Amino acid sequence: MILQALHGLYVRKQDELPPEGFEQKEIPFLIVLNGDGTFGDFQDTRNRSGKKLIARQFRVPKDSGRSGKNAWQSANLLWDHYGYVLCWPKSDSDADKEMARKQHGTFVERVGELAAAYPQDKGVQAVMRFLKSDEREKLLEHPAWEECRKIPGCNLSFRLSDELSLVCESDNVREFVAKSSAQDDDEDDSTTGDVEGICLVTGESATVARLHPRTPIIGAKSNAKIVSFQKNMGFDSYGRQQSYNAPTSKGAAFAYTTALNHLLAKESRQKLLIGSDTMVFWAGEKHRVEDLFADLFGEPAKENLDQTTQAIRSLYTAPQAGTPPLDHDLTPFFVLGLAPNAARIAVRFWHAGTVGETARHIRQHFDDCAVVHGPNQPEYLSLFRLLVSTAMQGKSENIPPNLAGDLMKSILAGTPYPQSLLSAAIRRCRAEREITYPRVSVIKAVLARGTRYYTSNEQEVGMALDVTNTNPGYRLGRLFAVLEKIQEEASPGINATIRDRFYGAASGTPVAAFPHLMKLKNHHLAKLENRGRAVNLEKIVGEIMDGLDDFPTHLSLQDQGRFAVGYYHQRQDFFKKNETTTNVNP
Amino acid sequence: MDMASTKSRMLRLKVWGDNACFTRPEMKVERVSYDVMTPSAARGVLEAILWKPAIRWQVDRIDVLKPIRWESVRRNEVGSVMSPRTNGLFIEEQRQQRAGLFLRDVAYTIHAWFEMTVPPDERNNVIKFQEMFICRASKGKCFNQPYLGTREFSAGFELIPHDQSLPEPIVETRDLGFMLYDLCHDTSRDEGHVHTCTDGCRPSFFRAALKDGRMMVPARDSEEVRR
Repeated sequence: MILQALHGLYVRKQDELPPEGFEQKEIPFLIVLNGDGTFGDFQDTRNRSGKKLIARQFRVPKDSGRSGKNAWQSANLLWDHYGYVLCWPKSDSDADKEMARKQHGTFVERVGELAAAYPQDKGVQAVMRFLKSDEREKLLEHPAWEECRKIPGCNLSFRLSDELSLVCESDNVREFVAKSSAQDDDEDDSTTGDVEGICLVTGESATVARLHPRTPIIGAKSNAKIVSFQKNMGFDSYGRQQSYNAPTSKGAAFAYTTALNHLLAKESRQKLLIGSDTMVFWAGEKHRVEDLFADLFGEPAKENLDQTTQAIRSLYTAPQAGTPPLDHDLTPFFVLGLAPNAARIAVRFWHAGTVGETARHIRQHFDDCAVVHGPNQPEYLSLFRLLVSTAMQGKSENIPPNLAGDLMKSILAGTPYPQSLLSAAIRRCRAEREITYPRVSVIKAVLARGTRYYTSNEQEVGMALDVTNTNPGYRLGRLFAVLEKIQEEASPGINATIRDRFYGAASGTPVAAFPHLMKLKNHHLAKLENRGRAVNLEKIVGEIMDGLDDFPTHLSLQDQGRFAVGYYHQRQDFFKKNETTTNVNP
Repeated sequence: MDMASTKSRMLRLKVWGDNACFTRPEMKVERVSYDVMTPSAARGVLEAILWKPAIRWQVDRIDVLKPIRWESVRRNEVGSVMSPRTNGLFIEEQRQQRAGLFLRDVAYTIHAWFEMTVPPDERNNVIKFQEMFICRASKGKCFNQPYLGTREFSAGFELIPHDQSLPEPIVETRDLGFMLYDLCHDTSRDEGHVHTCTDGCRPSFFRAALKDGRMMVPARDSEEVRR
């Protein structure tokens, strides 16, 4: 379904994406002709963007890819640089003049072929008449020509004065290009001959592509492909080599790769890069969720830190009055996770669902992750932040290879998070002794979702401090936070607190750490000058310990998670309490 | 059913496994599975339990009994084929790491029947093979362990007798796109019962769809099968 869905995207975006044999190209100057082929105007298409002038992009027949000393023999159809179009040499030297003359000759010949094939096409005939006449002289007197001359190898194309599109965008030219590109391909494959087969994307009988166009992703080689088979590497089956193994018509191969490249393009808003994985997403038809998705999971831009929050708000409520909520939207929605693997691209995951179902699941994810946090911390954490908090040194290259894909998959499908996520987060907590907001968010989410999914009776950790939670892991976490607080208040400003020394032991094997810590606590309390505060703290310890007979010998991974969450909750509660106590006490 | 009949009645077999990979032809290098068992994989399972030159299996319908779930695995594979003329290859030098997107925790009900490839007589007839299949499948006998797409994912199987009701499929309806139906083989270059592939050996495809968890499989000579 992956190729089919991409093919569908190409069909949907046909007006936006270049047709077979065409590409998008920047054309800085246009020659505007009158219907009779006389010179009309010389138009500058460039727009100022910052300090630079950026030319407009037009859809033109594909570059002929010429090189070498015989390059002048191939001209592009109806567009090229001024050497070809206007016979204008790049310098005054005789060699360059001669070269320009040859190039122009080829260009005129190419247009001549086209003009002979379509005698009724107004645009093509006008260009032909222009090229044959001496209207060129008028152009060279136009004020914009001086500008154009300054750009080395400036590309030019033609437009009729009463039309908006270029001459080379007409249906006739498209037909001509389609025919001639089919011939080119024939020459390409002359060694093997054409193979006919049933296309596995469209189901039609057609010429099968021997090689598929490239679709490079970040981290892969520039010629990486999604569908590729090396020769003699064990991929030849039933006597078939390379892509004949998987019959895909040339048209379908072009269509799906063009669509994928469009999604992967530099300025695309429909892709996400997490760790080494690239994710692209699209809907079955034009849909606002396509714009929303990157905001939901991507790292917010520096100038717009609220981006994620805004995106999530619009997920919870219909953004404008009159827009139907996403929940019951049955538009198909696809997410494709790709990972580089040398010259190939591997599919990490593939999600095909509906917009409504996906929106519900994404919302559930953010609900599961929600946990109390400081006022300056972002309300919602991006996927990248969550993942990187579980990686060594907080570096994205240390995220375990499969984790990003697995996490994304479980978010989209609404299934339990991968257990490796929990163990990774706990491992980082223990190793760095830093129980941070993103880590607790991860741990809490895994626990909460696991409980809901497996419908166990365990009382689960909530968003904020829950004094009624009797789970020993959670309680010990709280206790640990209180003990640390006591130490901090007894000796303010010390470098290493009990957390730095005992966190690992306390969360893993409580019985080995807590009796010692309880003894320490008494010393710390004795040091406190404010007796009332000492009593208060002792009371909290008592409350937490109430009903906890013994320190367990060890805690399971889940309970270690609850330990971390309990610790974090209690600590956040201290920060909060400070505010309220100052308000209450006069 | 009389002895002259050439078609068996519908036989039903439940198969299941921890993992499955019904590889898509376009992604067989970094393997990606189809969403549902393909007809040729189902045929393979049936043939593992009973196959004789005198019969030919036809899969009619595949019910999906468990939600479609995925698993991504990276593993070491050998990136070479050993030529018959060589003295062998050193696997450690031919290692490649490849990714795979497999199905996990799958179960299907295969509905299938077979037809005779030879005219039925005393020794070869539908009733005999039908009873053989029922007997073998209910005892768990097989020529080789049936597998779900690739050999490493072996399958458990169980006959569903006619007087027993069918397990409920999942409630899901979706288009599955074009799916591999089977390979049509050209036997012109075969010698001494050894098949040699020619240009005439080509895959055939059909438009697969899941309707309430059931995938209907067209007959091999129907127009729905594109070859």
